[in-house]
Amino acid sequence: MSRYLGRRLLQFIPTAFGILTVLFILTYLMPSDPLRAVLGEQYRRLPPEVVEGIREELGLNQPFLSQYLGYVGRLLRFDLGRSYILEQKVIDIIGYRLPHTFQLMLGGLLVGGVIGIGSGIAASLRPGRWLDHLLTGLALVGASIPVFWLALVLQLVLTQDKYGAALFPVAGYESGSIRHLALPSLVLGLNLASGLSRVSRAAMIEARSRDYNLTARMKGLRSRAIIQRHQLRNALIPILTVLSLDMGYLLGGSVVTETIFNWPGLGRALIPAIDRRDTPVIMGILIFGAVLFMLINLVVDVLYGIIDPRIRLEK
Amino acid sequence: MTPRVAGLADSRPSRKRIFLTRPRVLVGGILIAIWLCGALLADILAPYPPLEPHYSHRLAPPDAQFLLGTDELGRDLFSRILYGSRISLTVGVVAEGIAASIGLCVGMLAGWFGGWIDDLLMRVAEVFFAIPALMFLIVWVTILESTPLLIFVGLGLISWAGLSRVMRAQVLALKSMEFVIAARSIGVSQWGIMYRHILPNAIGPVLVLIPLGIGGAILSESILSFLGLGITIPYPSWGSLVDTSRNYFTTAWWYAVFPGAAISLAVLGFSLLSEGLINP
Repeated sequence: MSRYLGRRLLQFIPTAFGILTVLFILTYLMPSDPLRAVLGEQYRRLPPEVVEGIREELGLNQPFLSQYLGYVGRLLRFDLGRSYILEQKVIDIIGYRLPHTFQLMLGGLLVGGVIGIGSGIAASLRPGRWLDHLLTGLALVGASIPVFWLALVLQLVLTQDKYGAALFPVAGYESGSIRHLALPSLVLGLNLASGLSRVSRAAMIEARSRDYNLTARMKGLRSRAIIQRHQLRNALIPILTVLSLDMGYLLGGSVVTETIFNWPGLGRALIPAIDRRDTPVIMGILIFGAVLFMLINLVVDVLYGIIDPRIRLEK
Repeated sequence: MTPRVAGLADSRPSRKRIFLTRPRVLVGGILIAIWLCGALLADILAPYPPLEPHYSHRLAPPDAQFLLGTDELGRDLFSRILYGSRISLTVGVVAEGIAASIGLCVGMLAGWFGGWIDDLLMRVAEVFFAIPALMFLIVWVTILESTPLLIFVGLGLISWAGLSRVMRAQVLALKSMEFVIAARSIGVSQWGIMYRHILPNAIGPVLVLIPLGIGGAILSESILSFLGLGITIPYPSWGSLVDTSRNYFTTAWWYAVFPGAAISLAVLGFSLLSEGLINP
């Protein structure tokens, strides 16, 4: 197990570096002068010598390689730089916004997990029957609906009396308010649920075909116990895999959801940062997102071992 | 004739029967056909030019004159959605074409050569797998401009990794088959074997995933458009229609609802087709 973990950690480093490099090259290639973002209105008014002075101060006149190495060096000390526009360190911006995004992701995960896994199991109990057809059909439709549209339609029918009922606030964030969190979580979760539902159904059906079911039945176990203790536990592995890959979707989807619902998370900071070409903020949020995503995958790998002793004992 | 993997050829239903015996394939095919017709025949089918304003009918609800209502300048929404289908379908097909080409090549090379080539390529695939797709696309288009070509390439770049893994697994399974060894022993070159023997036998499981990928690309483009970063020239894509509709969303429900429904129906068609082909 520890060797397995060690190998996974070693793989983690080159992948993280790869992502960092790709992102750095992309932001380096950004066509507009970053100083335009730094100086705003003053960019045109200030004499060129002053502009060049600031450029030198920020290290933006150095060749690509030394800028890159400098960034990596600072990153290793957890220094993501300062925003060009806001008077804040990038790490502080992330620190302030991250909990909000986490809340949203957790809400989405909860909605998606309960509805997705639940409906998947329900569909798997009698494959080919009407409930199965209905649920798999719904899952396909759910996966085809764009997040932003789902958000708008739900806003249309659930936040105003004109076409529906005003059950939830249209948008916004209030600390500790479940009503504000409900709609964004639902939007984020429903899309997640459709993918999860299909995987859980397939995994449960696959688990059903195994010989251990026969043994369990011969032992005299009831169906419920077989499903809970044997099938579900075996089906958890593929479900977890998809769930961990879905974290990337949750991160990306939260950008859209936060924008629509005016939710003060990372995505809500990313879009204006891109508009204003605030490179340090863009880089910081993206690298943070990618590393977070990889860390979640790593944790899931460890979870495999806990759930399934066969994986733990291998090698 | 290329040799087929034993047992596969016999159990395969004919093309006609696939459509008749699998309702998902049939429904998916019909949906795709409808959108294809809409896109190709937009000039004939659209009741109005997509950019023609009718100032006395601004934000008119759906009626006999304007089937799906009008937008803030009185332009016919039905016509705009028809023309928008051209953009969405093109994005889906071209982007997924790029992704499939990359995925097939990478999977083939990694599976066939193995060793460090495999390690390197799969590590690269992992990097692309680990970058959250939407975040990558947002950065991609803001940095490199939202031209159609760059959107195609960006979408292709972010979605090949999964296909390459499927392809690699296929190649690995086929590599040690007898007909490959036979071809080797009579002196067929490596590239010849890859092209003539491995590719035709390995491509099936990749091909059935392609409609799903097209749907995914349409969805991603619509999200970009919704964020104001998608294709708007010469006519707005479906996503940007929904984006503009947000300003009138309390007064004109049809403006937001119909373009979004168009996206969902197109994506649904492609996913149904893939689903039906993968699971009999």
